[in-house]
Amino acid sequence: MIGVRAPGRREAAKQDEAWLRGRAATARRPLAIAIGAGAVGGLLLIAQAWCLAQIVDRVTIRGEDLSGLWPWLLALLGLFLLRAVAVGGVEVASSAAAARVKRALRAALFERIAALGPVWMQGQRSGEVANTLVDGVEEIEKYYASYLPQMALTVFIPLAILIAVFPADWVSGLIFAVTAPLIPVFMIIIGKGAESLNQRQWQRLARMSAHFFDVIEGLTTLKLFNASRREADVIARMSDAYRQSTMSVLRVAFLSSLVLEFFATLSIALAAVYIGFRLYYHQMDFLPGFFALLLAPEFYRPLRDMGAQYHARMDAIAAAEGLIGCFTAPLPKAPRALRQLPGGVVRRIEFDNVSFRHGGDGDGVSGISFSLARGECVALMGASGAGKTTVGQLLLRFLTPASGLIRINGEDLRLLDEADWMRRVAWMPQSPTLFYGSVIDNIRLGAPEASFAEVEAAAEAAQAADFIARLPQGYETQLGDAGQGLSGGEIQRIALARLFLKRAEVMVLDEATAALDRATARRVLQSVARATAESAVLFIAHDLDAARMADRILVVEHGRVVESGSHAALVASGGLYAGMAALNREEAV
Amino acid sequence: MNDILRLLRLFWPYRRWLAAGIALSVVVILSNVVLLALAGWFIASMALAGLGTQAFGYFTPAAAIRGLAILRTVARYLERLVTHDATLRVLSELRVWFYRHLEPLAPARLQNYRGGDLLSRIRGDIDSLDNFYLQVLAPTVSAAITSVALVAGLALFSGRVALIDALGLLAAGIALPLLALRLGRRPGNRLVGTKAALRAATADTCRGLGELRVYAATARQGAQVEELSEALLADQRRLSWIKGLSAGLSGLFGQLTMWLALVVTIPLVTQGRTPSPDLAMIALYVLASFEAIAGLPLAFYLMGETLAAARRIFEIIDAAPELAEPPEGPLPQRFDIVVRDLRMRYAPDGKWVLDGLDFALRQGGSLGIVGVTGAGKSTLFNVLLRFREFQNGQIEIGGVPLRALQGEQIRALCSVVAQRGHLFNTTIRENLLLARPDASERDLVEALRQAGVFDEVESFSEGLDTFVGEVGARLSGGQARRIAIARAFLKDAPILLLDEPTEGLDAASERVVLEALKRLMTGRTTLLISHRAQALLYVDRVMRIEGASGGLIRLQPVPLPLWSPTADATLLTGLRHPASESLFGRGSHRSVMKASRDR
Repeated sequence: MIGVRAPGRREAAKQDEAWLRGRAATARRPLAIAIGAGAVGGLLLIAQAWCLAQIVDRVTIRGEDLSGLWPWLLALLGLFLLRAVAVGGVEVASSAAAARVKRALRAALFERIAALGPVWMQGQRSGEVANTLVDGVEEIEKYYASYLPQMALTVFIPLAILIAVFPADWVSGLIFAVTAPLIPVFMIIIGKGAESLNQRQWQRLARMSAHFFDVIEGLTTLKLFNASRREADVIARMSDAYRQSTMSVLRVAFLSSLVLEFFATLSIALAAVYIGFRLYYHQMDFLPGFFALLLAPEFYRPLRDMGAQYHARMDAIAAAEGLIGCFTAPLPKAPRALRQLPGGVVRRIEFDNVSFRHGGDGDGVSGISFSLARGECVALMGASGAGKTTVGQLLLRFLTPASGLIRINGEDLRLLDEADWMRRVAWMPQSPTLFYGSVIDNIRLGAPEASFAEVEAAAEAAQAADFIARLPQGYETQLGDAGQGLSGGEIQRIALARLFLKRAEVMVLDEATAALDRATARRVLQSVARATAESAVLFIAHDLDAARMADRILVVEHGRVVESGSHAALVASGGLYAGMAALNREEAV
Repeated sequence: MNDILRLLRLFWPYRRWLAAGIALSVVVILSNVVLLALAGWFIASMALAGLGTQAFGYFTPAAAIRGLAILRTVARYLERLVTHDATLRVLSELRVWFYRHLEPLAPARLQNYRGGDLLSRIRGDIDSLDNFYLQVLAPTVSAAITSVALVAGLALFSGRVALIDALGLLAAGIALPLLALRLGRRPGNRLVGTKAALRAATADTCRGLGELRVYAATARQGAQVEELSEALLADQRRLSWIKGLSAGLSGLFGQLTMWLALVVTIPLVTQGRTPSPDLAMIALYVLASFEAIAGLPLAFYLMGETLAAARRIFEIIDAAPELAEPPEGPLPQRFDIVVRDLRMRYAPDGKWVLDGLDFALRQGGSLGIVGVTGAGKSTLFNVLLRFREFQNGQIEIGGVPLRALQGEQIRALCSVVAQRGHLFNTTIRENLLLARPDASERDLVEALRQAGVFDEVESFSEGLDTFVGEVGARLSGGQARRIAIARAFLKDAPILLLDEPTEGLDAASERVVLEALKRLMTGRTTLLISHRAQALLYVDRVMRIEGASGGLIRLQPVPLPLWSPTADATLLTGLRHPASESLFGRGSHRSVMKASRDR
């Protein structure tokens, strides 16, 4: 992805930032409060400097004693308190601004991902997309909580100081003003430095880290080849090479901030010395001179902090890239019309010369025709990549046929109300997902109102009741990330219970027994046969045991149906299926 | 405390770099404070001199101001370079150290942790430790040094003001961060949990989008995600209040300290006990001295996190290795395997996973192992590979007891092809060279050809130098499996352990992989775990390992005709190669399968 972006990186970064700015609209008010509080804090700072200069002037130059100074001292105390409130306010308000953006963004992302649907997700790394929703959104926080308000203040505070200093001491004001236009220049220098740092070095760091963790993940494999000990030297070598290359970049990157810092510090020193000499020759008073000196570091402070702000900005832009990717992916076309299913229940499904291509020249299916009636089970057999799953997804309406028609009771599937269709279908994918929550919630996914007895019956039918009973809290056991702690076969059986509980009119089972040992698989298949007696079942299988229970078997190869018929007929025909059956001969006896 | 000391000991080799970085940061802060104080004093003195109240030799202070400005800038630049260099050195050291300690523990001691969980934990913890010096150690030490130096310097002018400054620094540098930490602990901990739950919920959502749609549960899932997101935001809001409070107070403490210093010093100036230009100097000095503790709140905040990370890392590497290694003994000269009454369990009071297993396999023979998931099939392999210790019975390879051999010696004798064999995220070539680092191009091509994957590899635009992607993501399952087989060809070990080598492959890929395996098995003593009938056709015999129901996982070797290396030839009749007619004919295997079905 980074490689693709390389040529127009600057352009792309600009667009990403424009997008980030656009998001700030949801948080205009808290952002304004944050900037306002920061601005008030800046004004209070100037007032503080004036009070302090007054006090020092009165004591040092005019020789006043403490008793006469109390009004000034108390005023100073009050200003301190107010400023503390302003500083805290900036923090709270800018966090609130970021929170608003994050909330809106998360909701929009969730909606978007749901709309993009399962087929789009197949082309993504689901972990990465999930990561975008949680951590990607968190990473843009600094843009709103830190970068935006601080950048506004970086302009405001030096300007306010300049306006305050000029009437008091125009010479110092002039020194500040001359150096001020250099701010944007340094912004660009630092920005470039930070950018090259970000893009190149962090990429290298990521690669080095990835290697390190790849090695840890594959430690067992390394041990099997007795290669694990020499890998320690590779890690040492890699991190050392990384250090050297990083340092050579840092030496240059830090130079830009060295120049900036040198400039700021020297300007302060210059102002101080210059004020000193004018005082010495009595060309100015102490009060304005000291006032200007107090404000000098504050004038340059925002400038010094800018490096950090730039990093916040670059990180946010990098994170935004992932977020924008989700928003720019084209949505699948919305259904054209909504019609109710004629005839109440699904009685007959017909695939009429249906074709579909994934992407430009990817896999797909072509000219698929078959029918499936209520109470019937059709098995799709074939090698992986032959197009079996695509047929299932077409029936589930995750995909729309490029040509040909899928008819339900004679009506075009595309024209049926989607929500109504979804109520009628159930699906068990190749690798089912268990959601964060309890076992029972997972089984009840499609039927939240189901009674416990119904859940138990479904689990029983799915051969899942026994192992669920052995879980620490039975049906109430909380399942962690991706059903952690359960075996693949157990996950499959919970998903099967979920399928049974929905009692849908159409069921699509994709490799439903792949993770089960043979004995369990057989028991499960018998349950499937019983539980689906009233439904139309599309059974995707690569296993002969599973195919044999079907009324009809369609053998799919390269996206086409090449054979169809019953098990016995296909074996007798001596075709592709017969060949597969021959491999299982010992079972066919 | 022990953890800190251990951590510091790890950093010891780089103490000079670390100390130099800290010294430079002390110079930066001190020069800045002195610069400001000196500037204040200079201006006041010059003003008084201009008024004719006192004489003033301005040359030295003016030069000092310029000198300090340059010193500060240069020191800052060097500080950044040195601390970053030191951080990277430590990072490298840490990783190598961690790896060297982790290596003997794999895989037995790491299997107690859940796969992804362990890895992500290590990832986060190592990252925390990477930042330990830059964000915790250096700011803390330099804050301590500079604070003491600054207070001591102030004491030269006024003991009372020095005391006030010391108290102010303690309040802002230690009391306030501790208070913030205390207030933030509960929402902070909750936040970590909420974030993990949100991650899990969104990960499920993304993986299960299709199911959510079919089961009309998208809205419900969305509500759950939103609820978690709101909980996260609520805790973040609480933390932002704490952060705002501590930011406001931290500035206020510095200003109040200066205010008190003014109130204390002004009468002294009026009384003439303190020279009047010192007032400006003291005010600026006190105010600037708070820069010394600026890094402490973050350091305190990260300290707990880093120490917890260190504790977890130490915990992992402190585990004793599963097995004690014997001195290097003589290698076996033949490669038959005899297992007698093998019993194995993972914990001293645990259930037996392997419970009295007996079998013998002649050199070059092959044995299939079937049984339900969790029956102990993979455990047997781990025992044979000396990844796991066994408690009872005997295992001999070519007459040499397994325990008389070092782990590395045994693993040199065995090639493993597993369902989850790891391909590293590098080129195909590098992945192959793992098996034999000195292999020539010809060897690699030959191995790929034997594994039946050469044509496909050749068709990639970069051939052998194609990157396999994260965990083999750019190869199909069958291709990855055959590259693992090519590795086994390269390794050319006399014993083969095949752990579900074709599971998860479609029929076509399975056929190609099996053909490659058949070639690989020729002349090698082979154990094959599988429940794929097609795979089991390729072995001489099949043994079933039973896991009992009821949650107890127990191994019960089914009374198969056992054969010893000597009796092998006579008993080798029931099961043959797929080429033979009597595939799984009427032999014992079939009856076993049947028996288990009837059970």
